Amino acid sequence: MTDDKLFDEKTRRKLDQLMLVATRVRAGAMKGERRSIKRGTSIEFADYRNYVRGDDLRRLDWNIYARLEKPFIKLLEDEEDLAVHLLLDSSRSMDWPGDGERDQHKFFYGQRLMAGLATIAMGSNDRLTLATLNDSRQAGFGPVRGRGHSLGVLRYVSALKPDGTADLNTTLRDYALRAGRPGLCFLISDLLAPAGFMEGLSVLQGKGYEVAILHLLARDEVEPPMGGDLRLIDIETNQPQEVSIDGGMRDLYMKRLTEWQDSIRTDCLRRGVHYVPVITDTPWEKIILYNLRRLGTVK
Amino acid sequence: MSFLTPLAFIAALLAIPILLLYMLRLRRREVLVSSNFLWAQVVRDTEANTPWQKLRRNILLFLQLLILAALVFALARPFITVPTVSRGQIELLLDASASMNAVDQPGGVSRFETARQQALGIVDTMGAGDLMTVIRVSDVPEVLLGATADPVLLREAINGAQAGTAEADWTAALTLAAADATGAADVSMVIISDGGLGEASGLPGVPGNLRYVPVGQASDNLAISALSTRARPGQQTELFAQITNYGSEDTEVIFDLRVDGELFVAERYTVPAGQNLPIVSSRLPVNFTALQAGLTLPAASTARDYLAEDNTAWAVSSGASDRRALVMSAQPNRFLDQVLRSLPGVQYTQGDVTQGLPNQDYDLYILDGWLPATLPTGDLLVINPPGSSLLFTLTGESEDTASPTVLQNDPRMTFVDFADVSVLRFKTFAGVEWADPLIVAAGGPLLLAGEVDGRQVALLTFALTESDLPLQITWPILIANLLNWYAPPAVISALDGIQVGGSLSLRPPLDSTEIRITRPDGSIRTLSVDRQTLAFADTDLAGIYTVEVLRGDEVSQRAGFAVNLFSPVESTITPQASISLSGVEITPALRDEVGQREFWPWAALAAILILLIEWYVYQRRVQARTVFQPVLRRRSVG
Repeated sequence: MTDDKLFDEKTRRKLDQLMLVATRVRAGAMKGERRSIKRGTSIEFADYRNYVRGDDLRRLDWNIYARLEKPFIKLLEDEEDLAVHLLLDSSRSMDWPGDGERDQHKFFYGQRLMAGLATIAMGSNDRLTLATLNDSRQAGFGPVRGRGHSLGVLRYVSALKPDGTADLNTTLRDYALRAGRPGLCFLISDLLAPAGFMEGLSVLQGKGYEVAILHLLARDEVEPPMGGDLRLIDIETNQPQEVSIDGGMRDLYMKRLTEWQDSIRTDCLRRGVHYVPVITDTPWEKIILYNLRRLGTVK
Repeated sequence: MSFLTPLAFIAALLAIPILLLYMLRLRRREVLVSSNFLWAQVVRDTEANTPWQKLRRNILLFLQLLILAALVFALARPFITVPTVSRGQIELLLDASASMNAVDQPGGVSRFETARQQALGIVDTMGAGDLMTVIRVSDVPEVLLGATADPVLLREAINGAQAGTAEADWTAALTLAAADATGAADVSMVIISDGGLGEASGLPGVPGNLRYVPVGQASDNLAISALSTRARPGQQTELFAQITNYGSEDTEVIFDLRVDGELFVAERYTVPAGQNLPIVSSRLPVNFTALQAGLTLPAASTARDYLAEDNTAWAVSSGASDRRALVMSAQPNRFLDQVLRSLPGVQYTQGDVTQGLPNQDYDLYILDGWLPATLPTGDLLVINPPGSSLLFTLTGESEDTASPTVLQNDPRMTFVDFADVSVLRFKTFAGVEWADPLIVAAGGPLLLAGEVDGRQVALLTFALTESDLPLQITWPILIANLLNWYAPPAVISALDGIQVGGSLSLRPPLDSTEIRITRPDGSIRTLSVDRQTLAFADTDLAGIYTVEVLRGDEVSQRAGFAVNLFSPVESTITPQASISLSGVEITPALRDEVGQREFWPWAALAAILILLIEWYVYQRRVQARTVFQPVLRRRSVG
């Protein structure tokens, strides 16, 4: 474990200059710091349109009317806030690897991503909600808005611990039903759920969430270094699995993993879900500063 | 295919504990992983999760079961039925005579090697309950292995057998085989030979079925069938050699002669087919010790000489050392003096009766009309003794000398004719039962001779001066015969040599203690002189044997004798299509019996090979486990 701090000041300053972007921005309840696709009441000019009866005369452009003798309504851009939901899988499977580099620990990596995205959201005055995905239904954080909650957010994220199991379908459904305003939702998980997660994802999307999945896997989950006659103990479920691993078996595992990730990618593409596979030996800042930016989720 | 011990298949049940051990042994190391989610899918995909499928995928188990199967198969002793020569109790007579050294088999293989392969083939096809006794037939038949069913021992015995260089003693071999088979049922005598059994009519009858497995293909052979030397008084030693062509074509051959190791002469002769070529020469050097004659085919010759053992012969010089004789005459005897002077090989001394016997020992004492107080210990020729002694008692005189008769067929009387000899009177003796009366007149014996107290004694009962015998031609003949009888050449009685495997009589001097014989291969045999005549039969090698007579540590006499094959039976290598025993003609045996050829060694070999593969696979697994060990040590539970 190299550093228990989620990120340093330099990284925080970089994150402050970023903004989360939702492809389909949802109308906020409060004015935010991002332009809305709706025409609103801000001072930013957007366009003109013909006056129709019932329009607010205060928004008539009298200068145009004087020149053209035709009434035009000046359309101004509206500004709204974005509801950002950061969901971190806190099941025991995220507590991996058990030793080795702390930076490559899946849950710690997830905590850093969550804190980083939260920092960006708070900098944009977005409506931020943090939650963990776990069958034990740990308490979430938020919704909050503004940098004034930074300390609370970081304290909350730092205090999170992986424990128990997580049925992603159930927990996502519960969250979708429980959370208030839908928005941009980041799901940070290893997705190692025997029951899958697509059903829960559907519920989220049905509620109007725009979802981005950050799929975390450790290096030794991608390339298992084991061999011989083994009894594999699942640290999340304590279920054993006997397997004789030789070269052929490892190849089969890696092939199966690739197929699994491909199927997730395909499903996400079809559903309009952003999918970012992450191996935890990749610097976490790179995921935000490069991968998510390339996706357009961060700018 | 059948099995001799099918009960061995019960051992296949060992597969059960092996399987159980594998299932129990499959102690998997527990390793923590973040999730079994994907591993479960992989295992499900490969359907490798059921116990049997695990076992099926385990190559070590598979190999171990294969090893067990191969071993059980070997233990069950599988066999196939094959035609064979003989069954039951087999007395295998393997001809190891000199002719079996002939290399007339394809590839230059000797007949004996072919016979050995034939014997091994019979061993390979022995059935359950069959027993075999292996007898090597040479000059002295030898039981290589008693009745056994163990093919390993039989193979070992047969492979260890070697062909000899002597004539085979088939009579002894068949007697031995018959004795070994006594009381056994279903006896078969299998004779593997080229048919050179010698005089068939003299062979004993044998029990059981007789089987003859012939070997040999050709008859072309040249041999030195005789080689000897003859010393002639006053002349050079004469050589007699004989080359015999046993083949069917006239053959040119080079005859070389080495005298004491140096090439003396090499001449080319043409030997007519089936005939002898005598070679007589008087050009031998004087004072040689040994001769070696050899036959070689000319380089350009297309003829064949398949047997090499009879191409070399040896001979020793026949010149015997002089005999020392002491003549003690009461009156000077010119007749004795003249005859002893004229005979070769005799070095005689005239003694003085007034001085008595000298202290020096002599081989022969001639006491003419005189007797010492005590008779000397050497051989004696007593002529007209004046009185009695320990060997005889003088009883009187007789003048009845009519009709003297000579004992016929006695070598001492060869060419002795007493019909014209006149004797005035002679003395009569008693106590001479030890002697043969060689010449007997009407009134009693004129000459007696015999062995008594370990020496040879002749007694001439009349005075030479009272007979015209010294004036007759019979006189030197008689003395020469007697001297030959007294003194056979040195210790060896076979200067012309003996056949390989033959025996030799040795007559060491009385004062010798030991006889040392050096064989052609340099090995030494020692005989203790505990009696007058010793027999030496360790003559299985052809060549020159050197005999040394030891008196204490001192070599008192040295002589040699030659041992040669000189056997028409062995040199006639023409393979015989059939042999005759006790008047029964035995033709080559057919493989009309059903034998069994086992092949369990192949199964055992397969088991060993699979074992090596299993070891290799195991080592590879151990290495693979070592590679992952650092990671697993960190992750493993407990």
